[in-house]
Amino acid sequence: MSNMDRRTLVRGSLAAMMAGAAFSRAAFAQSSEPILLGVSGPLTGPNAQYGTQWKQGFDLALDEIQAAGGINGRKLAYSFEDSQSDPRQSVAIAQKFVSDSRIVMELGDFSSPASMAASPIYQRGGLVQFGFTNSHPDFTKGGDFMWSTSVSQADEQPLLAQYAVKRLGLKKLAVLHLNTDWGRTSRDYFVKAAKEYGADVAITEGYIAEERDFRSTLVRVRDANPDGLILISYYSDGALIARQARQVGLKQTICAASSVYSPKFLELGGEAVEDVHLGTRYFPEDPRPEVQKFIAGFKKKYNGQEPDAFNAYAYDAMNMAAAVVKIGGTDRRAIRDAFPKVKDVSSVIFGTATFDVETRRVKGAMNAELVVRKGQFALWDGKPT
Amino acid sequence: MASWLDYTINGLIVGNVYALVAVGLALIFGVSRLINFAQGSIYLVGAYIGWVAVVQLHTPLPLTIVVVAVAAALVGLIIERLGLRPLQNSARIAPLLATIGISFVLDQLVMLTFSPNPRALPSQLPDVRFQVGNGTIGLLDLLIAGVGLTSALLLFVFLRYSKLGWAVRATAQDRDAAMQMGVDVNRVNQAVFGIAAALGGVSGMLVGMYYNQIDTAMSLQATLKGVVAEVVGGAGNVPGAVVGSLLLGLVESYGVAVFGTSYRNLFAFLLLVLVLVLRPNGLFASARQAPPEPLTGTFIAPSRPLRIPRWALAVAVGGFAILPLFPVSFYVLQTLINAWLLGMLALSLTLVAGTIGQVSLGHAALLAIGAYTSALLSLSLSVPVGLAVIAGGLMSAALGTTLISPSFRLRGHYVSIATLAIGEIVSLVILNWESVTRGPIGISGIPPLSLFGYDLISASSVYWFSFAVMVVLALLQGRLLTSHLGRSFRAIRDDDIAARAYGLSLNRYKSLAFIFGGFAAGVSGAIAAHLYSYINHETFNTQQSILALTVVILGGLGNVVGAILGSVALVGLPEVFRIAAEYRILIYGIVLLLLVRFRPQGLLGTI
Repeated sequence: MSNMDRRTLVRGSLAAMMAGAAFSRAAFAQSSEPILLGVSGPLTGPNAQYGTQWKQGFDLALDEIQAAGGINGRKLAYSFEDSQSDPRQSVAIAQKFVSDSRIVMELGDFSSPASMAASPIYQRGGLVQFGFTNSHPDFTKGGDFMWSTSVSQADEQPLLAQYAVKRLGLKKLAVLHLNTDWGRTSRDYFVKAAKEYGADVAITEGYIAEERDFRSTLVRVRDANPDGLILISYYSDGALIARQARQVGLKQTICAASSVYSPKFLELGGEAVEDVHLGTRYFPEDPRPEVQKFIAGFKKKYNGQEPDAFNAYAYDAMNMAAAVVKIGGTDRRAIRDAFPKVKDVSSVIFGTATFDVETRRVKGAMNAELVVRKGQFALWDGKPT
Repeated sequence: MASWLDYTINGLIVGNVYALVAVGLALIFGVSRLINFAQGSIYLVGAYIGWVAVVQLHTPLPLTIVVVAVAAALVGLIIERLGLRPLQNSARIAPLLATIGISFVLDQLVMLTFSPNPRALPSQLPDVRFQVGNGTIGLLDLLIAGVGLTSALLLFVFLRYSKLGWAVRATAQDRDAAMQMGVDVNRVNQAVFGIAAALGGVSGMLVGMYYNQIDTAMSLQATLKGVVAEVVGGAGNVPGAVVGSLLLGLVESYGVAVFGTSYRNLFAFLLLVLVLVLRPNGLFASARQAPPEPLTGTFIAPSRPLRIPRWALAVAVGGFAILPLFPVSFYVLQTLINAWLLGMLALSLTLVAGTIGQVSLGHAALLAIGAYTSALLSLSLSVPVGLAVIAGGLMSAALGTTLISPSFRLRGHYVSIATLAIGEIVSLVILNWESVTRGPIGISGIPPLSLFGYDLISASSVYWFSFAVMVVLALLQGRLLTSHLGRSFRAIRDDDIAARAYGLSLNRYKSLAFIFGGFAAGVSGAIAAHLYSYINHETFNTQQSILALTVVILGGLGNVVGAILGSVALVGLPEVFRIAAEYRILIYGIVLLLLVRFRPQGLLGTI
């Protein structure tokens, strides 16, 4: 009986794979069909939370795009394939998207190993890979089909250094950073900028993403005797570090990168994140109309939930994709050629976004200097903490 | 000097946290000789039940603890009844795989119910903190320590002085004899799983409160650290698990103190390897005590392999070889390329795990060594890619065998744990040895595969290349298995004392197996590196090692065709289930469990 089971199983799975292949070949884009974008990102696995945040941002943007009449009368839609941020799966997804003629461009993946492993396939297959969280400096060097709206760390970190050193007057810094390609690149830019502004970096400590316990790291930090802590972290690890810093008796000013900007940071950090300073790309009271529209729309759609940085990246990315498809149509090469042509797309992160043709990235992210006051993000009023 | 006091206290605090998981693992190992990979998932379930109780139902702390303990114990009982009891008469490796499948299912269920976003789990204790050294400790630290120590003490007393405890120990020593003496072995197992799960659930909740944070990724980390602590203390030794945990916490803390944060886990795993090599029974076993593993190789039960006629294999190979000539989508080809690459890894692992009985849980390290060697040679020294791939294989064979050689004297589960540690060490060395490996930035711009000056870029050519390499490796390995050498390997697996009595040098044969296996895995990693064009320390992670082991057990240990069939199945199934989106890994876990349940000797059986 087990023999039989196996045979049916193998046959069944092969049949399903073939059927899937046949389906994607048979389906040709028709004008009543929506214009389809492929998304490769984590929906399960250790990074699943970021995939769900992307979806929220995408869906909100799509609602607005559809309400405004879609793309020249056609709807815009996306097909989200779960990669678990695993390069083996992201390359398979890349082949799937490349051979699916309905897909006009691709968004993602989340982590650098998964995204950059798929880049050669997108490049050779002639499908744009639009990586909106890919800050790895080599991502867009993968070829002319790689474009990114990820805020370049070369731009962001000097702003944070300026906030910490020039504005808050910190002179001797301890830098704690995620030991990933993003954290490492960010650290290097930050340290360089901070030194240029005249501060001394007393110690830098890299930690792995799964780390939960930072008490010993913080003792090391304490012994270096800094007057400020810089966190190049995501919100969950950032909150952990802030809590444990207070527990081991560190009372120094904490200044964090914009990636901690999330209501979760406040929820997870509790009282310990009070008075944490952070630079962000937007904030709730930001008078810019695109920000107000984004925040109001997001809260309405998701039961009053506050959007965070990853929601905003995804929202912007979908709007950018719509703008590009509006110019480029549904031809894959025309879409690539449309990227340099889009000008001043309204953006939460950049204000208005225009691609730099050389780097295939966007420069000039907005900057706001926030501080946590009474459990809320507030614009920093210039008062010392 | 004051800092050393702080490091010591911090080490003890985090050791406390590890102890909670380690005690549960030790209890289960003590009775069923099983590393319960689902313990971390029960810990996760406990944390989320705690969240529901605290945040939604507003239960007071004592009631929360009771609710979590009861609910987690129920989960443990269900796991024991449905997942493990049906497997008690099959090969000992089957329950191990079952716990991996169960942990997939539990983690996914929690993720689907609660979303993967991290949540805050507020502590219900008053925020009173005591100044110790220059830092502070809170009431929760004391509660965690209290729960850890009390449960270890209670368990110790229970095992030593109660009747059920005697039954548990009797079952641990000799299951059959215990049954003959009228011990209800199933009830004992139930009791143990219930207790261990209750403890696991409560610890998940307490640790969640401690960090004010719970998320679905906490399960694997908890299991890893718990296993390390448990083995350091002596597998199956409950008080030892507590001491092992505290020691692990201290070593990590001092490691951070001396070398910096990014070296932290390196010390944890070095400690583990050191303990395993010097005192394989754990720190607290007397030197003359018999090892807890059986003396003969019942770890891998013999079974009648399914013979596949040669013509059928030839037809299958021929069919797959001409597949790209038909109008199949590149997606199918790419999926099969992944299957062939995993197949090479599985060939390697099925040789060392199945044929010679060294069940490795760190096989991804061999991929990484091959990948980095080939990538760096072709980038920095402009070695032609074809040669670089072969060099990757050779480096993996040489370096991998050297690294694993200290674990040659170990048996059974201990080999798995030692290789797990070695795998982690390799990954951490890659992360930290920046001058060579470029650390977390990784290596980008790796040239594509090429042979004799022709680039292999199209999906079909990569397909043919990887398929051909895999078939050649499989043929070599098939030839090896039928040779005198293959018989010697199996003799060592089935009974190493008898094999030694016949004059076989164990270390030499184990080295030979790892050299051959390391080459296959290294080539697989090297091809992957050139295919991806970018690798970093996360590309070849622990999950890959676990996947490879799953493939090998699924296909049938030592079975060459089984390894390849298993690879196609485990690469193909998640792709087939794509239609189910978020549910696909859940379905995959359930299918895996069903396969283990009905075919514990693997699809094609052990050779």
